[in-house]
Amino acid sequence: MGVLDFLANGFATAFQWHNLLFAFVGVLIGTAVGVLPGIGPMSGVALLIPVTASMTGGLGPEAAATSSIILLAGVYYGAMYGGSTTSILLNTPGESSSVVTTLDGYQMARQGRAGPALAISAIGSFAAGLFSLVALVFLAQPLSDAAIRFGPADYFSLMLLGLAAVSGLAGKSMTKALIMTVLGLLLATIGMDNVSGVARFTYDQPVLYSGLEFLTVAVGLFALGEVFKTILERDYAKGEVTKVGRILPTRQDLKDSAGPIARGSVLGFFIGILPGAGATLASFFSYIMEKKISKTPAKFGTGAIEGVAAPESANNAASGGAMIPLLTLGIPGSGTTAILMGALIMYNIQPGPLLFEEHPQVAWGLIASMFIGNLMLLVLNMPLVKVFAKIIETPAKYLLPIIVAISVFGVYAVQASTFDLLLLMGCGVAGYFLSRNDFPLAPLVLGLVLGPMIENNMRRALTTSNGDFSIFFERPLSAVFLIAAVLWLVIPLLLKLRGRKVIINEEG
Amino acid sequence: MNKPFDRYASMAFFLIGAVFVWESRKISATSYGSSVGPDIFPMGLGILMMLLSVRLFYEVFRSKAASGEKQIYDYKRFGIILAAAVLYAFFLEEIGYLIGTTLFLFIGFQVIEPGKRLRSLAISAAFSVVVYYVFVVLLEGSLPGWPVWFS
Repeated sequence: MGVLDFLANGFATAFQWHNLLFAFVGVLIGTAVGVLPGIGPMSGVALLIPVTASMTGGLGPEAAATSSIILLAGVYYGAMYGGSTTSILLNTPGESSSVVTTLDGYQMARQGRAGPALAISAIGSFAAGLFSLVALVFLAQPLSDAAIRFGPADYFSLMLLGLAAVSGLAGKSMTKALIMTVLGLLLATIGMDNVSGVARFTYDQPVLYSGLEFLTVAVGLFALGEVFKTILERDYAKGEVTKVGRILPTRQDLKDSAGPIARGSVLGFFIGILPGAGATLASFFSYIMEKKISKTPAKFGTGAIEGVAAPESANNAASGGAMIPLLTLGIPGSGTTAILMGALIMYNIQPGPLLFEEHPQVAWGLIASMFIGNLMLLVLNMPLVKVFAKIIETPAKYLLPIIVAISVFGVYAVQASTFDLLLLMGCGVAGYFLSRNDFPLAPLVLGLVLGPMIENNMRRALTTSNGDFSIFFERPLSAVFLIAAVLWLVIPLLLKLRGRKVIINEEG
Repeated sequence: MNKPFDRYASMAFFLIGAVFVWESRKISATSYGSSVGPDIFPMGLGILMMLLSVRLFYEVFRSKAASGEKQIYDYKRFGIILAAAVLYAFFLEEIGYLIGTTLFLFIGFQVIEPGKRLRSLAISAAFSVVVYYVFVVLLEGSLPGWPVWFS
């Protein structure tokens, strides 16, 4: 079967009525998550994993996995659409990938052009989403065909590269990022060792035998951590919401933004594929690039539509690009994709080269649903943007406790243990204090998700080589990955030593 | 950089690394046919963790004092909500989902912004009933609904 046949089957899956519903709910909630300044895509996806797990309870295992990943991915790219709304109307980005959109978006809103700004960001996001999906369709098969030849040693080194990339770019201090990575890997070793069956660090506590549940830790760190931050820093004072006005962009607006949308899509997609660099970096770079090649760079910052179109397309393209390493290699490149991967693993579906062979329904169903979801988002966002703008006015008074209640409900619904609820609270507090002191959380979650796989592959490789560590350098592919990993960590250090400013990825 | 926090954090992470190294020595090396047992990975990571925390301690030591920007933290509200949340989590199975959630939400709403008690109560009760109804009745999940001493 060719790629197009697979895609057609994927559409058949995605067009099942319940999957259409799931995609719709996903993008709707995603847009809301993007609009609400309190929750970003990471906490949004983490919060919804348990909810989708209970919603899909009646389906077969593979169908359940397909439906929930469709919904969760919808939240992820939906948030990219929604994030621009607050940037433009309130001058406060809904999530970090929309920070640059405030520069020109808010200026446009002040000039009474909020409607066209919102419309252009929706159109740009749609075009970029389509572009990155088409690229995903054509890259997925060759990449997973290549990855299927990887041995355990290659996998081990590739995962190290993924961890190194995320740690190298996350947060202000690389030492702290590395500490968080190692902490995640260490926490992943708690519980039953799945190679030898020996219980590690459990101290005969039955709750620890299955290890710390990824879901509990992720919801605690991101969702609760964010709520605690908002409460502690009294971050819920509201600004003035600008009127939206007329929505349709003029012909001149469309003409001006066509170029930036195209360039932003391509750039964003390739930045998204890179592990460690995510939507935030993509939007940032595309804004800089537009400013550089523009004939009138002075216009930027005063309400230029190019300054809205480029970053908004780039962050959406990046979220599509980030699905490539996740689906084909099984390596998440960012915090949000790590959470998506954790969700897939919960359903006993291992992302990676075998995904396309063993579970074509999941992989292609997801890809097809992303086409549909992007279309839904465009339709939702153009006429309904005024409704979404209203969501901003949800009083924090009700929102914050409800997020806590949803977290508790979600974790209890899946885990049904008081221990997990207390762990959830502990992770929330830890998440807040760690991120307040510049300890990035994304590497921790990545370490927790990748930990067992890294260990398995390492031990399988070492078993074939009789405990000789040189196997990782002797296999050429593995050696290349390891060198790349080292370079990824060393080059920023060298640049820093020479006094250069290194751009980091706040979102992780 | 917040110096005191980072200093204590580096010590805490050093201890965590040390504990993992120490404890992994106790894991019996039971994996026949292979010289790599279940202890190697955590032990290596523990050592790495210790090295990294030494490096962090050194960085904190070298860095200058934190800049003057002071953020005011609302520890009172945070404390009350956290305490309520922990109690809610701890007693969820005893007092049941409906009462526990309603109480927790009501306290949360009132702590963040006092006033409009009736409305707060209505929203919190509605939330718990809707979630309970959808999850337990429609989706046939299991949640402890009412206090244990009711049934």
